[in-house]
Order: sequence, then C-alpha cells, then structure tokens
Amino acid sequence: MRPLLRPGLLAAVLALAGCAAPSPDGYRGEIAALTAGKTAGVAAALPAPDADTGPLVAELLAQPLDAGAAVRIALLNNPGLRASFATLAISDAERVRAGRAPNPHFALGRFAEGDRLEIERVLSFNVLGLLTLPWRAEWQGRQTELAKLQAAQDVVRLAAETRKAWIRAVAAQQSAGYLRDVRDAAETGAELARRMARVGNWSRLQQAREQAFLADATAQLARAEQARVAARERLTRLLGLWGTQAQYALPERLPDLPAAVVEPTEVEAQALRQRLDVKSAVDESRYVAQSLGYVRATGVINALDLSYTRNTTFDNARGDKEAKRGWEVELPLPLFDWGQAGNARAQGLYLQSVARVQAVAVQARSEAREAYLGWRTAYDLARHYRDEIVPLRRFINDEMVLRYNGMLASVWALLADTRQNVLAVNSALEAQRDFWLADTDLQTTLSGTSPGALPALASSAAAGGEPQGH
Amino acid sequence: MNRRNFFAGAAAGMAATGVSRVALAALPEPAMQAGNATAPPLVPPNGRPYQPVVTLNGWTAPWRMNGGVKEFHLVAEPVVREMAPGFKVNMWGYNGQSPGPTIEVVEGDRVRIFVTNRLPEHTTVHWHGQRLPNGMDGVGGITQPQIPAGKTFVYEFTARRPGTFMYHPHADEMVQMAMGMMGFWVTHPKARHPLIDEVQRDFCFLLNAYDVDPGSMTPRVNTMLDHNIWSWNSRVFPGIDTLNVRHRDKVRIRVGNLTMTNHPIHLHGHEFTVTGTDGGPVPPMARWPEVTTDVAVGQMRQIEFLADEEGDWAIHCHKSHHTMGAMGHDVPTMIGVDHSGLVKKIQKLVPDYMVMGERGMADMGEMPMPLPDNTHPMMAGQGPYGPAEMGGMFTLLKVRREQPPGSYADPGWFRQPAGTQAYEFGGSPPPAASVAAPAQPQAALPSVRKPSGHSGH
Repeated sequence: MRPLLRPGLLAAVLALAGCAAPSPDGYRGEIAALTAGKTAGVAAALPAPDADTGPLVAELLAQPLDAGAAVRIALLNNPGLRASFATLAISDAERVRAGRAPNPHFALGRFAEGDRLEIERVLSFNVLGLLTLPWRAEWQGRQTELAKLQAAQDVVRLAAETRKAWIRAVAAQQSAGYLRDVRDAAETGAELARRMARVGNWSRLQQAREQAFLADATAQLARAEQARVAARERLTRLLGLWGTQAQYALPERLPDLPAAVVEPTEVEAQALRQRLDVKSAVDESRYVAQSLGYVRATGVINALDLSYTRNTTFDNARGDKEAKRGWEVELPLPLFDWGQAGNARAQGLYLQSVARVQAVAVQARSEAREAYLGWRTAYDLARHYRDEIVPLRRFINDEMVLRYNGMLASVWALLADTRQNVLAVNSALEAQRDFWLADTDLQTTLSGTSPGALPALASSAAAGGEPQGH
Repeated sequence: MNRRNFFAGAAAGMAATGVSRVALAALPEPAMQAGNATAPPLVPPNGRPYQPVVTLNGWTAPWRMNGGVKEFHLVAEPVVREMAPGFKVNMWGYNGQSPGPTIEVVEGDRVRIFVTNRLPEHTTVHWHGQRLPNGMDGVGGITQPQIPAGKTFVYEFTARRPGTFMYHPHADEMVQMAMGMMGFWVTHPKARHPLIDEVQRDFCFLLNAYDVDPGSMTPRVNTMLDHNIWSWNSRVFPGIDTLNVRHRDKVRIRVGNLTMTNHPIHLHGHEFTVTGTDGGPVPPMARWPEVTTDVAVGQMRQIEFLADEEGDWAIHCHKSHHTMGAMGHDVPTMIGVDHSGLVKKIQKLVPDYMVMGERGMADMGEMPMPLPDNTHPMMAGQGPYGPAEMGGMFTLLKVRREQPPGSYADPGWFRQPAGTQAYEFGGSPPPAASVAAPAQPQAALPSVRKPSGHSGH
C-alpha cells in the first residue's frame, strides 16, 4: 500500500494536475494506428474534427464507387462514427478533469443573535481527494484508453459494415439485372404465345400458362428492384450521404474471385493476438486489478477534509469584536462501514472483468474458427458455381439451342431453359457475393473485433432445378 | 477377346446343356459382318440351286453343309449399327449387325442353326412363320428354356414351305426387338412353283423403329409408339441404299414389319401386286393391283411388278412422320406466327437463336444448322434439285436401261429426257389468294350465350 502522504508525491500530483489537457485531434491519430490494417483492406484516414471532408468525398464519388472508396467515405462522413468520436471527446474531458486537483471550498457564514453578529469563514480542502489524485488520474486515463479501443472498434466495424453494404448493393444491382433478363425471356414467351393463340396455333390454356410465367417473373423482378434499392440505401446511410451525393454510381459487377486464396494459419492465435475487443477486455481487467489497491486504501477512510476556520464575532452592544482561528479535520469513523462493501464491490468488479476476458477469448476463438470455415466454404462454393454449375448450365443451354435447331425442342423450351440458365448465373453471383461478405467477416474477426452474428450461406435451388411448369 | 477362343470356351461349356456330341464337334465358325453396305447376292455354292435375294444394307449368312444338313451359326451380341453416316446406335443384333444376316434356304432343306448368346441376358430365337416341331419354335419358357448368356443352343428343322419369313427373339422380346434383334428368312421353292414367279431382282428389308434421344446412342426400350427413328433394316434415308434395277426387270420386294405400328408401303411410278404374305404365295385370283400396301405389325408382304418405267422412283412408308429423322413431338406449330420484334429480344438472351417454322418446316431441309451430337437430322435427304425434305423409311427404285443384268451398282441420278419434267409457267401468275388467318376468328362467329353461370366466354 502506498503511503498516503509524501511531499514529493504531492508535488508530482500538482504537476500532473497542471499538465492534463484535452487531446487536440480527438485521438484520431492513435486510433488510426490502432486500426491500421483492420479497416476492410483499405488504408483509411480519419479526418480531423474540424476538417472539411466535402471536396475529398466529392472526388471519391466522381467515378463509380469501388469498395475502398466506399470505406474511405464512410470513415470521413459517417454520422455514427462522428458521434463515437464525440463520445471519446467526452471521455477525454473526464480524464482531464480527473487529473486536476480538487478545488478548495470556501464557506462564509453570517449568524446574528440580538446584538451579536458572527461571521464565519471556512476554507476547507479535500485532502483525500488530493492524495488519491494520482490513482484517479491514472484510472481516468485508463478509461480513456478503453474508450479509444472502443472507438477503434467502431472504426473497424464501420469499415466492415460499409464494405459489406457495398458488396450487397453491387450484388443486388447485378441480381436485379439478371431478373430483368428472366422477365424479358418470360415476356418474349408470353408475347409469342399471344401471337400463337391469335392465329389459332395455341389454346387459351397454353397462352395463359406463358402469361402466368410472365406474371411471376414480373413479381420477382419487383422484389429484386426493391432489394436493390434497400441495399443501396443502406450503403448510402453508412456513407452519410444525402441529396445529389446520394446519386453515386456503383460498378456493374463484383470483383472476381481471387485466383488462389492464401490460407490464414493459426486463426485462433491470430484473433487473440490482434483483436481490439480482446485487447480491451484484457486491459480493462488489468486496470481493475490495479484499482483494487486504491479501493483498499480508501476502504476505511474514504473522506478526509481539512478546514481552516476564521470566526469573527461582532458585539454591537459592546462595540467590540473578537476573532477565533482554528482548523479542523473531518473524517468518518469506521464504526459501521469498515469498507468491506467497497472492497467486495471492487473484488466483484475484478472477477467480472476476468470473466469478461474469458468470454471474449472464447468468443474470439470460436468466431475465428466459424469465420474461417465460412470463408473457406464460401470460396469453394463460389468456385463451384463459377467452374461447375455455370459452365454446365451454359452447356445445357447450348445443347438446347442445338435441339431447337433440329426442331426437337420448341422455342418455349429454349426460353424456359434460358431462364434457368440466367437464374444459375444469378446464384453464382450470390455465391460470389457471399464469398466477399465472408472475406470481410474473416478479416474483421481475425484482426478487428467481433463481426456480430456470422451469416449462414444462402441456399439456392435455382441451379439444379428443372424448368418449372413445363 | 479372341472370338475363336471364346467359341471354343462356349463349346466346352455346352457339354452340360445336353446337346449331342455330334453337334458339339461340328459347331461352325460364325460369319461376321463389319460393314453396312448392301452385300451382293450370295449365289449358293452347294446344295439345291436358287435365285438369291439382296438384303438392303445387309447380307446373307453363309452356311456349311454337314451330312446333308445346312448349318448356320447365329451369334446374338451387342453391336453398333451406323444407321446413317455419322449416326451410330448401340444395338443388339446378330453376327456384327442389326438386323442379323438373312438366312436363305430351299424348300425341303434340313437346317441346323447354332445360336450363341453373347448378350448380357438370356434369349431365344423364334422362327417366325415356319412349320417346325413345337420344341424348335423358340418361345422362351414355353417350348424351351431360354438360352442363358454365354451358352449356345441348337435349332434343327426342315424348311417345309417356300416363302418369306423372319426370325426374332421370343425372350424379353419387347427389349430385345427395341434393341434391334431381328433378321430375314427366305425359303426358296425347290422347283418351279405355280404361284411363285421367277424374278430378275429380289430385294428384302425389315421395317424397324427405334427411339434414340437426340445426342444419345442407345434406344429407349420402353417407348411404345412414339419412336423417332423409323428405319428399314436399321438404316435411315439418306443412309439407305437404293433399289437399282434394269429396265423391264421383274422385281420382287419382300417387306417384314417388326415395329409396333403398321406401315403403308408406297411405290411411285408402277403398280404392283401383293404376291405373298406370311402364309405363303397369294393365289392369282386373290391378288390386287396396288400402289400402296399396308404391312401390319408382325406381317410380311411380298410385292412384285415389272420395272417398265425409267427413272428414280420413290418407295416409302406413307405415314409422313415415318419419312422424317429425329424430330421433337412436342414442338408446337409455328406457321403464320408473327415473330417481328421478338427475334432480337430472344437473341439477346440466346445469341444463336434463329426463327424456324414460321413458314413451315421446310427451313429444316434447306438450312442445315448445328444439331446435338449423333443426331440424324429430321430432313436430311438431298436430290439433284435440292432438299428431298425426307429421311427415315424412304429410298428410291432406280430403273435404268443401261443397268447391266445382275448389277446392283447405283447408277446415280436420273436425267429426265427433255420435255418430260415439270417446268415453270411462263405467263403471269394469277393474283395471290389471301390465306392469312382472320385476326379475331371469334368475332366472325355469332354470339352464343351458354345457359350457365359463367360469363366472359
């Protein structure tokens, strides 16, 4: 236990109290260092609090928005991230205040009784507050460290969210395009069917069946369009854009799958080593452990006020005055509360923080395994679609054309097969999208923080399915 | 595997089947046929003489005389038959081909036929139309145990009556005939027969039908009537040979039907008479002049005529679907359907798309387009004046003055003498009649309200 009173320490405390000042850049530099390599594969800069990010955003929006540009804009522009930095500023202010010595109290009392007037001046000083200043300053500094880690996680999460929203927006846009092709095929079939019925080659039943395909394809397209807009708006919100800025263009297609993937090794170890939430929990636990000493020190004596009093009494009847000077020390008697409750609470906090470290570690390990498996499966699936299913579907479609050529199959059979072909290509796109989403989640999981619930891979029946209804 | 060794092994195995040691010792080497060209008539090297037949795209099995008995050896086995150039089908046949070799004997001949089964399942041979001992009739399970895979059985009987016959399995016959197991049998009269004329040309072929999915090689054996390959002797026009004859030859054509539907066989340019059926020669008083004779399922017809008109004369099945190659049976009629504005749309989705059938199906014959592998085109025949727009059960009777007697060589296309061919009218054509369908056929009908609760009909 530290000695409560030592002149040198006191001087240090005063010096510390004088030095503490709010961080000028709101810790953006430190957070940038913490998040380096963790912002969805983009070296993104955090803007100064008063920087005008407009021109840079406008420049990034000038061409079709790629994933990197989207992340950069989000880090410059996202209102939630700005709020997160404001929270950090509040924490920083708390830290600065905690580092200052407590102000002395001055009390002035005026009491009259008949001809007697008494004026009491008390200058009191919270000695314990001053003595515990180093602990409190250090504690608050650590709170700021934790807040910085929190803000850094917000940055990482925002980068990942933005990248995923961009992937979803581009994929939804591409999907809507494919479903438009499906609708076109159905529309062509329905129109041809109408003409067949008009010249008497088909019954109204056969025509109605083709019409029903068109009706169904139109409904699917409407859903796809809505999904496209929803995905894009989600991205727009993350980018913090509005007005004409929100009319940005997206690329026509997702990036190709990587030709070969680099297998991450020791994913669990990597997650434990690099993740900010793990670091945050470990740091917090260490701070809580260190603060136990402070709590023990202040357990019994949790207040110590030193007052200097000067009492002046005026006797108007006698026309004289007298002054009393003196000092008093006020401290609570540890009669009922011997600090056990405070100690127990601190002990509880410590155990809580240790448990949290365990929980975060378990979660990080598990998420690392899950994200890795999800990523690997998504990659294999996407390749399977690209190398097996789509070429097969294309081959089937080519063979259908040959059968159509030989008048062995009708144009409707050909169009129905074309619809299946387009849907298979769409499923391949979804698999590609799922890979990039899983890739983002893996990066976040291994080096950033918990990505939240990892998604299950979407199932798709379109690829192997038979043409329906024909 | 070496065939010789195989049959040696099969012969050793036969000891257990109870066939006499004499027959065992005498098992003749089976004659095999690799090609699918029409073989020249097999002039009998021994035995009673006769005027041999020509099997269209086929051949006659040689035999061996053994103590006055004509011995043949049929080997039932999987074969690959080229039904038309480039169109090969996995079949089951005899001695390398489907149909198997024609068996030609003479009335009164004692015939011994060794049948070796190299199929994956048991089989029998039924001698369709023959008078024979019941135990030689070849109905599996009824008159004999089936011939197990790998075994050889012997049939022996006397060819008692002259005529036109067939052989085919009577064991799992639905599958085995759908796979092409069949062959022709001709019993020639031993002397001049009052009801059987002497002819200069004697052709024979079997009608058969297969269902071969476009792009595949093996017939679908469960198809009942919806076959897409209609053939004579498992060949389809234009892969089928022509019947080449000398002008004023007397011609006999023998037709047997082993499909599951009847075939009206129609000959152009001549009238013929049906001179024989499965039952034997038709008495002259019962013969009808015909230009088409319907050959019902399981029947034989023997037609005869004097080839006294020069030219290339079509002979075909008159069921018009049967003179087509593989075709889709679910393809709707596209005639008269306006495609304007839609072709580009479809091509956007299917770049190789072309409109077909808008005016009819003649596009198919005129405009060869890529087809699935191993698929015989629907209308592949070409003549000197353009596409014949036919395939399947179709060929030509070629009658020529310059055809040497006994020569079966193809004389090429006939050149019609000047002034004997249809020609284009030189004057102005009459105004075109409108054949367009009314846009709203219902509008022209009187409005009839049905006494029901429905409206809007």
